Amino acid sequence: MSQIPRPLSLQSQYFGRWCPLSVRKQSVLPSSRYARRLHTSTVTDDDIARLASLPLHPLTLADLVKHGRPPLSTQQLLSSANFTLSILPARLAHRIRSLRNLPFIVVSNPNISQIHQNYLHSLSTLLPWAEKDIKTLEDEVKFAEVMTDLVQTHSNTISILARGFLESRKYISPKDVTRFLDEHLRARIGTRLIAEQHLALHMSSQPHYDISEEDSSEAPSDFIGVIDTKLRPAKIVQHCEAIVSEICELRYGVRPHVVINGVPDYTFAHIPVHLEYIITELLKNSFRATVENGMEREPIEVTIAPFTQENGSRFESQATVNNSDQGNLDVVSKTFTGHSPPESTLNVDSEHIRPLARSTPGVTIRIRDRGGGIAPENYAHIWDYSFTTFNEDEASSTLGGVSPGIEALNTISGGGGDGVHSLAGLGYGLPLGRAYAEYFGGSIKVQNLYGWGTDVYLRLRGVGKLD
Amino acid sequence: MHSFKAAVFSCSAPRISFTAASRSIIRPASVRVRSAHCNTTIKAAPTWRPSSALDEWVQREARPISLRQLTFFGRSLTESRLIDSANYCREELPIRISHRLRDIQTLPYVVVANSDIAHVLELYRTAFERFRRVPVVRTVEDNDSYCKVLQETLKEHATVIPKLAIGMLEATKFMNYQEIDKFMNTMLRSRISRRVIAEQHLALTETFNSPWHFPHQSLLDPNTETVGEIFLRCNAKEIVEGCGKTTSELVRRAYGINHPIPEIKIKGHLEATFPYILSHLEYIIGELLRNSIQAVIEQPRSKDETPPPIEVTICETPQQVMMRFSDQAGGIPTEILPNLWSFSNSRRAKRIENLNRVPKLLGTMHELQVPGKSTHEIHMENANKSKQTDFSNYPGSLSGLTSRPPDLRLGIGLPMSRVYAEYWAGSLELHSLEGFGTDVFLQISKLGNKNETLTTRASMDAV
Repeated sequence: MSQIPRPLSLQSQYFGRWCPLSVRKQSVLPSSRYARRLHTSTVTDDDIARLASLPLHPLTLADLVKHGRPPLSTQQLLSSANFTLSILPARLAHRIRSLRNLPFIVVSNPNISQIHQNYLHSLSTLLPWAEKDIKTLEDEVKFAEVMTDLVQTHSNTISILARGFLESRKYISPKDVTRFLDEHLRARIGTRLIAEQHLALHMSSQPHYDISEEDSSEAPSDFIGVIDTKLRPAKIVQHCEAIVSEICELRYGVRPHVVINGVPDYTFAHIPVHLEYIITELLKNSFRATVENGMEREPIEVTIAPFTQENGSRFESQATVNNSDQGNLDVVSKTFTGHSPPESTLNVDSEHIRPLARSTPGVTIRIRDRGGGIAPENYAHIWDYSFTTFNEDEASSTLGGVSPGIEALNTISGGGGDGVHSLAGLGYGLPLGRAYAEYFGGSIKVQNLYGWGTDVYLRLRGVGKLD
Repeated sequence: MHSFKAAVFSCSAPRISFTAASRSIIRPASVRVRSAHCNTTIKAAPTWRPSSALDEWVQREARPISLRQLTFFGRSLTESRLIDSANYCREELPIRISHRLRDIQTLPYVVVANSDIAHVLELYRTAFERFRRVPVVRTVEDNDSYCKVLQETLKEHATVIPKLAIGMLEATKFMNYQEIDKFMNTMLRSRISRRVIAEQHLALTETFNSPWHFPHQSLLDPNTETVGEIFLRCNAKEIVEGCGKTTSELVRRAYGINHPIPEIKIKGHLEATFPYILSHLEYIIGELLRNSIQAVIEQPRSKDETPPPIEVTICETPQQVMMRFSDQAGGIPTEILPNLWSFSNSRRAKRIENLNRVPKLLGTMHELQVPGKSTHEIHMENANKSKQTDFSNYPGSLSGLTSRPPDLRLGIGLPMSRVYAEYWAGSLELHSLEGFGTDVFLQISKLGNKNETLTTRASMDAV
């Protein structure tokens, strides 16, 4: 049973390349025994207050690749570890504070409370490291264990939160839930990314990768950690199409097909897992609408349009990655406590808004279907969490027990046959997809042609030109 | 003018010394302001005459009207109906114009001192004075003289759009873009509304006076296709085809008869039909097609390659009709996107020059130098019109714009189309796939029961 949401890169054929048997045996892979073996220290309220008052800087893709191309040298690996260590505790503290500002009755719900405990636990594993730098390889290996524990502990957050909020829907308005989740889930994208990136770099670094045991004549990988520098959107679309049409056939007996046009050979640098999630969700929506509208013979048209590059374009100055897209501002606390967190002036400070590197290639992907469009009364709610046109009984039943719906939410990637049996889930696809898209300055826009179909425009930015 | 000059002299006249050293003479006649971009001559600014009449009219609210009301009103055209229509005009026009007059008066001084804006201010002031003095209309003869006043004023005001556009472009030195756009949108909306009311009334009068109208006919002939300016059965597909042909023809003339032009493919609910003011619809669709066709043509391609077609999808529901215009013309670069809907974006100098070439945005085709047939004639040929509407006698305010030659880029097509689309509670949205193409979505409300979108006094006074 695969509980670990390993990034796609680790699941795939690359895993063998990066992680020779000798290392694998050392079990950087977690089991619950290790959680208890980790060195923790108690988290005090002071700790949280202190850490939560530190400003958060927007994370760019460039940050993630700045330590070097794999395989990393020891020096680079240590620098990556220290970078990770420097930014994670504050982020966790922000989340804890945000959770603590939710209404008491909501946080008392066992599910929400569980999440709160998880964050406290993770911060407690990081505090012992906070004082010192990581200077040796043994320390770094221990640190990698901490990261693995972090990733594993929080792998079920979304479904647990979903269940918790569903159960507490009498005590908190959908609008407040949406606002909280928008911010929390975006911040979560960041923390997971940082941790997984370091883990992936760790796996592919020189000290942990015994080159002589492997075939050293292999070409250098295109991956830098979880980032694929030669990611081909068309390939991801085909992969997702395969998964989603399986489910569709299982449920409806028919299988709409996807036509890809534009520039199918285009590649750019991005995180495959994110793109996979977004495209899967969008295709799920399109497929379901198409079939239920009786239009399964009509193809779903996916157009891949790379950004054009202009010399000296003013593009950079307008392209920013900002704190609110990444959920770093904790504005939600204001709703419930009535006052803003201490550093709320942060968003005005331009130093914290980092422009993307020069000539950042990107792509626009348009998904066009003949599914009849979105009824006006539903259109206002498509970005709400837990809004779904499946009736509530089905939604509740997918949440209870070991239903496939949860698995779908847990695994970041579409996960093969891992139990994604439902085409409509819990109404998280669109808002969460948008969170992923917007995290690095992209966007999702939905254009409704009610009575005919829907056009969805997904814009993504890549990381800048790498050396 | 003179009184103003006198005022300048008397209250602020320093002791003028005529020594060579002292150059600080206030020149009352004109002050030349040289700037890097243009020469603005601030003449002694237009005189402000205190007018309590204006203050009074400004307080009154406009009464918005819907397409359906206009239609029902005009369907059974009796003499008393016609008189009522005249009196509605009589009331509404001065109210609406007074609001805009006040808006211009509250712009920064330096902006209004610009000659183009000052000209518009004078025009509006004269029109206001003229309109508010019209006595109550009681007979058909009264109506006829009123209609003459209306027609003259409409003709006089033909230059307003280019002048406003130029003036506000030059105002970008003094005001920020959002303020300018808000102002332009308000002015345009109001202008559309006054013209709709006025032109509708004129068209009704013409119908009433025409030889085949029976004044005592009170029931609507079920085959009527038009009520004044409103065409009851605008068929989306036919209009797109018509506009497509006209635009293609215009483009061919500019680029060469044999130049490959993209095909316009129409699919979807081809029967979709709804009531609308035809000239508005033709303007909007014409602009969108023009943008697409030109962009496709200007894309570099090899000689034998056929240009990719422009796909139009029509989608109908009981409440609305939506048209999607999808081209593969390379999309819109990201840096231009934020300014797409603005009246005051970049490339000013070229646009000011072009705007100066469109002397009147009205049906005087003779002034536009186009070889061969006049563009107006081409347009009439290609557009599908029913026999009952005799548009060639009454070109309306948009035909100049609709049939301008393609190399006359004014840069305001999109924002203007949006104002027209939103006027009857519709919308215009654009999505760009940079490097590939653009999709534009035009939504038209079918029911005609939404009131016109005006800027009310409340929203104007609100911050």
